[in-house]
Amino acid sequence: MIKKIFISALFIFLLLPAASGQEKVKEVVTSNYNRNSISMVTVLRGDSYDSQATSAVRYYKISEKFDLNSLKTRTVRVSKTRSEPIYQSEVDEVVNKIRFAPEILASIFNRDANGMMNDKTILYRGNYDAKDQDVINARAARVGTDALGELGHALVSGSYIVLTDFSKIERDTDQKGNVHWSTNAQAFAYKIGLDMDTLNDFYEKCWIYDDDTDAVKQEKRLAFQNLDIPMIPVAEARTSSSASKLEDAMNSCIGDLIFKLESRIPAWEVAVTIIGKRPLRAKIGTKEGLRNGDRYRAYSYTEDSRGNLKSVPHGFLRATEISSNSGMSIGETEPSKFYQISGLANIDEGWTIKQSNDLKIGVTAGLRTGGTGGTGIGIDADFLANTSNVGTMSYFMLSGAFDLSNADYMPIQFGIGFAYGFHLTRFVELAPYAVIGLEHIGYSSTDSSEDRFMRESAMLLEPGVRAAINVAYPLQVVAKAYYDVLALQGSTYKMYNYYVGHKSGLGFQFGVKWTF
Amino acid sequence: MIALTLLMTFSAVSANAQSKDRRKSFKSWDNYEITTEKVGVDGTKFVKVWGFGKTVDAATMAAKENAVHACIFRGLPGCATAMSTPPICPNPNTLETHEDYFQTFFAPGGPYLAYVSMTTDGVPSGTDRRKVKGGYKVGIYVQVMYDNLKRKLEADGVARKLSSGF
Repeated sequence: MIKKIFISALFIFLLLPAASGQEKVKEVVTSNYNRNSISMVTVLRGDSYDSQATSAVRYYKISEKFDLNSLKTRTVRVSKTRSEPIYQSEVDEVVNKIRFAPEILASIFNRDANGMMNDKTILYRGNYDAKDQDVINARAARVGTDALGELGHALVSGSYIVLTDFSKIERDTDQKGNVHWSTNAQAFAYKIGLDMDTLNDFYEKCWIYDDDTDAVKQEKRLAFQNLDIPMIPVAEARTSSSASKLEDAMNSCIGDLIFKLESRIPAWEVAVTIIGKRPLRAKIGTKEGLRNGDRYRAYSYTEDSRGNLKSVPHGFLRATEISSNSGMSIGETEPSKFYQISGLANIDEGWTIKQSNDLKIGVTAGLRTGGTGGTGIGIDADFLANTSNVGTMSYFMLSGAFDLSNADYMPIQFGIGFAYGFHLTRFVELAPYAVIGLEHIGYSSTDSSEDRFMRESAMLLEPGVRAAINVAYPLQVVAKAYYDVLALQGSTYKMYNYYVGHKSGLGFQFGVKWTF
Repeated sequence: MIALTLLMTFSAVSANAQSKDRRKSFKSWDNYEITTEKVGVDGTKFVKVWGFGKTVDAATMAAKENAVHACIFRGLPGCATAMSTPPICPNPNTLETHEDYFQTFFAPGGPYLAYVSMTTDGVPSGTDRRKVKGGYKVGIYVQVMYDNLKRKLEADGVARKLSSGF
């Protein structure tokens, strides 16, 4: 008995590291990226918003990184009031009832009413997806570049459907009569459950040839109708938006949903290798939907003495100059350029970089002193608008500050601005900036006149310099030096400010910044 | 004067040791991976081969040497789309018999380079570039001018011509 227990324990002890090792191997980030295809499907609720939802989804412009499969089924119906969100199980039920997988195959293989199919789309997609290495390999092989289209067969398994649902659609009208629409949205992504064996089986049983007898053709049509290929749920995303038009709010939601799904479906994240330094270059571009400022993460690889491969994450980098590569590769694709923004190690040739989406929004919070006066809290948000090869970055800013030393009058500052950052090294950014806004001194009052707010405010101009140092990206410590200029003071502001004592002056802020 | 003598002695010992090391590694030269990618264009073999070196460049050179070595002594494995290829010199004693010839043939910058072309796009990259203990292990795609290599070895009397048996 003891012997059995000992052997079992030993077996488990030996098995655990092996299982753990397998897990690690699975987690290796590779540079293998192939184009995926998607179909957008709208979830209908049976109310008056159905047509707008369908229209928004149908006409949404999907990123160039995806191929589109045009399906017969573009809408599905979920019987639930729009005031409630729908759940994964409810969508699963609907998706399982509809034969999405055969529809996808019918679209990809251009299946006609007689069940005849062709491989034009597959060959086109294979050629379009081919990388420079594929082209060079094809030239070195006897089959030649004509066979590049065959790569398209492997892309069929990268077919997805994205079901989009809008809920809690609300219409508000303010006192001035302006209309605002708000909506929640959810997206459910499903992948076709098809591997190469299933695909070969499909070719064998469903592909009709011209010289097939009528009986065989009928048999293959029947086989196609009886295809049982599942759609596998892979990710879900939620968001909400508001705008003056419902269509705009819906469009904004769809963009955000696709953005979130990209981060949750690893196969959608573009991966490629660095082919050169100074500046960093990689062979991706418009074909992969790359845009200025897009964030990627670098990985190198190590192999231990047992041959286990491990990807080692390094710093982040942002796309700077985007190459227009939307065409068939001829083996000489022009690379896009990147700038490294973090990481102790210099990103090297041959390393893999993988898409790592962020909102490009940095939020800074810190303590302020000086400026118009007093001590308070400053909160800024900046949106990265542009990044250059040499590391200069343009930001649009929203700035706010609260004077805590005058709680009775609650002086606040807010404004919009622009900053232009220079990277002294990738760890240190120095950004001159300018903010224009208002300083408002509020006080409880029965005054309800329309211009009350402006009378209680003064124009604020804030030129300054911001220094940000990477601590552990995306966390930075930030120091700001600025000069607050108060101008065009409202009458009530002047009166309150007699007690508050704010005036133009030099100020400093120290805090931290997190980039989302 | 003493220092100069010591330096010269050290240099001579070091050179001798390096030569012995190379000779030793030359004989045990069998530890590498090679796979046939596809059927190459006429007269060539298209393979993916791995090499090890202290730097990526050294590992790349080692991989090229390995590709030619495999064609001469090991043969190439088959794949889904290509048959296996027998070695040019199937006789296991060829290396020992012609050791000096192959020492020269595979010397750094030696004649072997004329029979191998790297077809990897740029530098070895991604999972084909691995940091391992003591250096790098890289995988590269290469085209070996197999027919030319065979003709060269036959002309030099290292490999036997097919017609020589009749």
